[in-house]
Amino acid sequence: MLPEDLRETLAREISLAEHPKEKIVDVLYALQSHYGYLCDEAMRDAAELLGMTLLELEQLATFYDFLYRRPVGRHILHVCDGVVCWMFHQYSILDHMCRKLGVEPGQTTADGLITVLPSGCVGNCHQAPAMLVNGRFYGGLTPEKIEAIIDELRASPDDMGPCR
Amino acid sequence: MSTPFSPVLLRNRRDSGPLCLEDYCSTGGYEALKATLNKRSPGDVLEMVVEANLRGRGGAGFPAGRKWQSVPKGRGGPKYILPNTDEMEPGTFKDRILVGADPHLVIEGVVLCAYAVQANHGLFFIRPSYEMDAELMEKEVGIARQAGYLGKNILGSGFDFDLVVHRSAGRYICGEASAQINAIAGNRPNPQKGGPRMAVQGLWGRPTVVNNVETLACLPGILQNGARWFKDLALTPTGSGSKLYCVSGPVVRPGCFELPMGAPLRDIVFGQAGGMLPGRSFKACLPGGASTAFLPARHLDVAMDFDALAAIGHRLGTGSIIVFDEDICLVGATLNMINFFARESCGWCTPCREGLPYIGEILRQIESGQGREEYIPLLRRMARNMDYAYCSFAQGAVAPLLGLLDSFEDELREHIARRSCPFGAVVPAPPGKTCATGPVTFGPTPCREGLSCRI
Amino acid sequence: MPDLIIDGRAVTVPAGTPVIEAAQRLGIMIPRFCWHKALKVAGACRMCAVYFLDGPVKGLEMSCSTLALDGMVVDTGHPEAVDFRRWVIELLMVNHPHDCPVCDEGGQCLLQDETISGNHALRRYPGRKRTYRDQDLGPFVAHEMNRCIHCYRCSRFYQDIAGGRDFGPMQIASRVYFGRYEDGRLESPFSGNIVDLCPTGVLTDKTARFKARHWDLERAPSVCPHCSLGCNTTVNARYREVVRIEARANAAVNGYFLCDRGRFSHGFSSLPDRPRKALSRGLETSMEQAVTQLCARLKETAARHGPQALACLSSSRASLETLGALAGLAQSSGWTGPAVFSGPAQAGRTLQATLALSDTRACSLAEVAQADAVLCLGVDPVNEAPMLALALRQAALRGAPVLTADPRPLELPLPFVHLPVHPRDLPACLDALIALAAPAAENAPDALARLLPGYPELWPRLEQAAPALAACRRPLLVWGQAMPGPGLGEAVVRAAEVLSRTKDDCKLMAVLPGPNAYGAALLDKGDRPTWRDVLAGVSAGRIKAVLAVECDLPDPEILGGLEMLAVLDHLPSPIADMAQIFLPTTNLYESGASLVNNEGRLQFARPVQARGLPVSQDGRGGHPPRLYDLGLPGSDPKPAWEILADLQAALGGRGPSHPWEAVAAACPALAHLAPENYPFDGVRVVRHAAAPGLSPGAEAEARDTGPGTGFFSVVRGESLFGSDALGSYSPLARRAAGEPVARLASADALALGLADSDTAVITLDGRSLEIGVRPSPHMPPGVLVLPGHLVLESGTARVGRKKGEGA
Repeated sequence: MLPEDLRETLAREISLAEHPKEKIVDVLYALQSHYGYLCDEAMRDAAELLGMTLLELEQLATFYDFLYRRPVGRHILHVCDGVVCWMFHQYSILDHMCRKLGVEPGQTTADGLITVLPSGCVGNCHQAPAMLVNGRFYGGLTPEKIEAIIDELRASPDDMGPCR
Repeated sequence: MSTPFSPVLLRNRRDSGPLCLEDYCSTGGYEALKATLNKRSPGDVLEMVVEANLRGRGGAGFPAGRKWQSVPKGRGGPKYILPNTDEMEPGTFKDRILVGADPHLVIEGVVLCAYAVQANHGLFFIRPSYEMDAELMEKEVGIARQAGYLGKNILGSGFDFDLVVHRSAGRYICGEASAQINAIAGNRPNPQKGGPRMAVQGLWGRPTVVNNVETLACLPGILQNGARWFKDLALTPTGSGSKLYCVSGPVVRPGCFELPMGAPLRDIVFGQAGGMLPGRSFKACLPGGASTAFLPARHLDVAMDFDALAAIGHRLGTGSIIVFDEDICLVGATLNMINFFARESCGWCTPCREGLPYIGEILRQIESGQGREEYIPLLRRMARNMDYAYCSFAQGAVAPLLGLLDSFEDELREHIARRSCPFGAVVPAPPGKTCATGPVTFGPTPCREGLSCRI
Repeated sequence: MPDLIIDGRAVTVPAGTPVIEAAQRLGIMIPRFCWHKALKVAGACRMCAVYFLDGPVKGLEMSCSTLALDGMVVDTGHPEAVDFRRWVIELLMVNHPHDCPVCDEGGQCLLQDETISGNHALRRYPGRKRTYRDQDLGPFVAHEMNRCIHCYRCSRFYQDIAGGRDFGPMQIASRVYFGRYEDGRLESPFSGNIVDLCPTGVLTDKTARFKARHWDLERAPSVCPHCSLGCNTTVNARYREVVRIEARANAAVNGYFLCDRGRFSHGFSSLPDRPRKALSRGLETSMEQAVTQLCARLKETAARHGPQALACLSSSRASLETLGALAGLAQSSGWTGPAVFSGPAQAGRTLQATLALSDTRACSLAEVAQADAVLCLGVDPVNEAPMLALALRQAALRGAPVLTADPRPLELPLPFVHLPVHPRDLPACLDALIALAAPAAENAPDALARLLPGYPELWPRLEQAAPALAACRRPLLVWGQAMPGPGLGEAVVRAAEVLSRTKDDCKLMAVLPGPNAYGAALLDKGDRPTWRDVLAGVSAGRIKAVLAVECDLPDPEILGGLEMLAVLDHLPSPIADMAQIFLPTTNLYESGASLVNNEGRLQFARPVQARGLPVSQDGRGGHPPRLYDLGLPGSDPKPAWEILADLQAALGGRGPSHPWEAVAAACPALAHLAPENYPFDGVRVVRHAAAPGLSPGAEAEARDTGPGTGFFSVVRGESLFGSDALGSYSPLARRAAGEPVARLASADALALGLADSDTAVITLDGRSLEIGVRPSPHMPPGVLVLPGHLVLESGTARVGRKKGEGA
């Protein structure tokens, strides 16, 4: 269900744009943020708002890696697997994280709280190994730091970062 | 160097965070803009930039002035500037540092570029990992607009230019200029070759300039101090300006350092970055991010500028130095990078889409001790054939591999001879069953499975 | 005109020609996958690499993305190029499954051809293949994504050329997927073309799945008989059954493509209940017997009531050969007819349309794309002549404004302006558009108020379109023949004259009722009766016997009281069931047919297969029956013209010995144009003679219609599938058509208390029928659109809610 005020806001933004197609990613982000992930209902809302077909939006949503067409948890951990993080034993970092959370890479914890996603170079190479937690950079990861971060996420589940 | 180098682009970098507008202005910010709007003609500005020999700092090194001069003059209708902050080249984080330190320097540079080509719309294209900097940019753009540095009739000059932040939804290929234009236009971000160049017909069929933010951030300095000053900043005869060099890997002080263009590689790695961590020794580095080739130790004294590196058959790229020590398996590193590029391939042309995973499979077999002698000439040929892909993505993707084959073939041979990785690396097996009787599904398939995780 | 040398041979080509096409002119087929003449250059497959030895370009380059320039020296067989292409093939085969034995494309597969000729044979890739899950794309196109080589041809055609929005590329990297958002039938009326375009077996004809290998097929060039556009096809048959239809390239008509109606409606030709035996009073008999009996009955009736009491009917689905033979027979025997058109309106309009299409005015389908403004009046392109919609899209993509005026709610795969206008106001609407198109449109604002007083809500749309219309130099007027009410044809001709005075050129295109309507018009001097006249004669007792040749009369019950009804057809039509004497004919796949399309292009559909029962029906899954006859089972049917020639001979005359004899006799202008002499893309004929009795029979509406009167003007609604004469017999087409509906304006529906999908009771011509309704906001008030097979000619109807349905 799309709340009326969100629908109106998005509709207004689209109608004010000189080229409405420039707004596609913003609309998809907004709906993804509202629904938690880019579910089918979100896609239908987006199609209606933008006057595009579901296929046309799916062409884009499945191309981009920050649009999630499958359910994700409240917190998304983008674990960098770029070559710099790799050389700092990225495998074991990712391994430790997954073991601690009890998931495989790409999966979400059973309580729906945390999703672990390997990601291409996130841009924090001087603090390798690094990851993004809800859009915030965390670097110099060690097993201890990871545990601390996960504990913090579990403790304050409402702390939503800027990037979803 | 006799006189110590004083940072230009990062002069306002502080631990406390980005520089606000007031502080920016009080340290000479927006003076270049004031000195240029209506006091110099756009043509004069272009000439200064050409004379300053400003080359693109996004990886290609194309002369910016020459690009901007090809924007048609005087035609009615919108023109676009796309400051490119899609920085996803592994090892590269300089644009993030720059934007995060001095957003108004970037804004001023963008406005100056817009004035030079008489563009009136700017879309600040930024990758999703940099969401915090996207928000920062949005905030500072609003502040700059309030203060009259953006929007209609900038500083009373009659020149209109406004900037909005356009968020990308990810993927490396969006950093390629024509792919970026497709991404903004709501199309699949495949690159678009052939047809008129983007400076003439780009976004929405209008003249469009796409440049890296570091390139644009050089403009205030050039316009304030002159082309000669900019050229004299460099340490090499053909270089110009200063450069943000990133250093990452097993060094004491990984980070982003601004130095004169053409600073020797040795000074950057062993000077600014403090050299190798205790107990490690330098084996090789990638001088400009993952789309460049391994540079062995014998080249440590090369000047880090476009021409000097080209002269030894290498590329400056983004100037992001990734250092490898003697304990790191370069085959594994190459495999990691090939997997990255295979995953980020847009999927348009055959060599890139099918060839990169093929190369990845070969390297994986070599790395896990299943390599064969005949793989080496095969890899060489396949890497060279990437020259004929649709865009230069594939060429960049195989640059480390070509460097590996040129300078570190012995590492490959050792893997093959030993039937294992001499550095003890263990490569995770690829997903899926081996000799399956049913369908083996590799990665997500139709529609619903679009997830960002690796294949 | 650049001169260049390719493989040692010189060639000169127009500027802007890519090297790959220049080579093709020399007969050198540079290997390719993604390049196609009809699609924009992609440069995706990298297969067309050739080596430039000299000239402005040197080294290895892609020949599709390199324009031919003066002084180029190209070597397509250079070792570097050959090696590179072999590598590209190797890459494409990395993930390709070993499906050849079970893949329909095998034997006609571009990937197979290029792989073998590219000298790649052994796999050395040591890894695993990526695989996909397939989708159900509907009844026409089968989907096997594992075979995909990602040439992007399908999505480039489907989205760019055809304007489809429900199929395209998803995902990224080596898992790019071509499909829909979810399972479901492809929505574009041109979806079948991706089957022709796909160079591998990803997209294949689902209706022909596993039926034949390419080398088993009998193939012949043919012409589509499902609308008046006459697109060129290649018919593939095996075991006396049509397996599938492919598009055949004709640069002047359909280009490289075909619509789904033309591709998938061929089921009419192999119906299990297709009549294949001559019948006399319901009993099977031999063809000779039947002819003899028919002859006797005809003589008897003529003797008793006079030859005028015998009438013959045919239709515009009959070939020129059939119509010519029938005309000759009717004339020599003094019979009434042949009546080919459904009524005076259809006859008059068709004849008038063919006269309007002079050599300079007539627009071929390919030329539609060159128009810089298109006005469509009283025509529903997607449902009446689907390929016209594709051509309109190409015009629109080049910037031509497209305006349609029609009472039906049109949908087109292109940006267009629709004017929902009552049929009687169509001429005035056209006049308004012409007024706007005049360069000095000073009187334009008044024109709208004067000519279209009842449509103030449309004025803004028209005013917005005015500048583009005024600026155009090569307008095209398209009109259909199915709109009730007089005047449209004259208005179009007048408009063309006005426009041609101020524009560079003004072309006309008429959409005609039936694949050979123009042909029927050629043989008609304007003095022939129509079906309606004949039926009136039957009611009045003037006509006592009817000979119906390949026609579908709706409501033939009235013919039940005839002394003699004889039918010649290859379809189990309702009228065939009523016939006292029935003679089976062959269809165009078996005997060929000359058809004239709506532009006046005479084309010949060659015979593909022998006549006779399809093997699948003969053996019924088992071994064919062990009958030791000469001749194939079920091969009694003969071409209609032959039967008519036999009949003429039996009646004491001399029938044509060659099918073209009768055509030449009926229309001397065609005498020299026997099918053997046609150029491969057909030959355009022009109908010159101003014949008497030309103006369409006025059929003023019997009543006032409109809101408040309770009466609606009835308009024929066509559908993509199943509403053309032959397609209506195809089970696949009928299934694809879905439930028939009646359409009316939303306001009218509201006033009647009808909601979407409610059942309405329609009273029309004294009959009553029940049908589901679909209201539309894009229709004018007072119009009811009914499926074509329910509407003989126009008329009026009452609409009411079905009793017993909830309020």
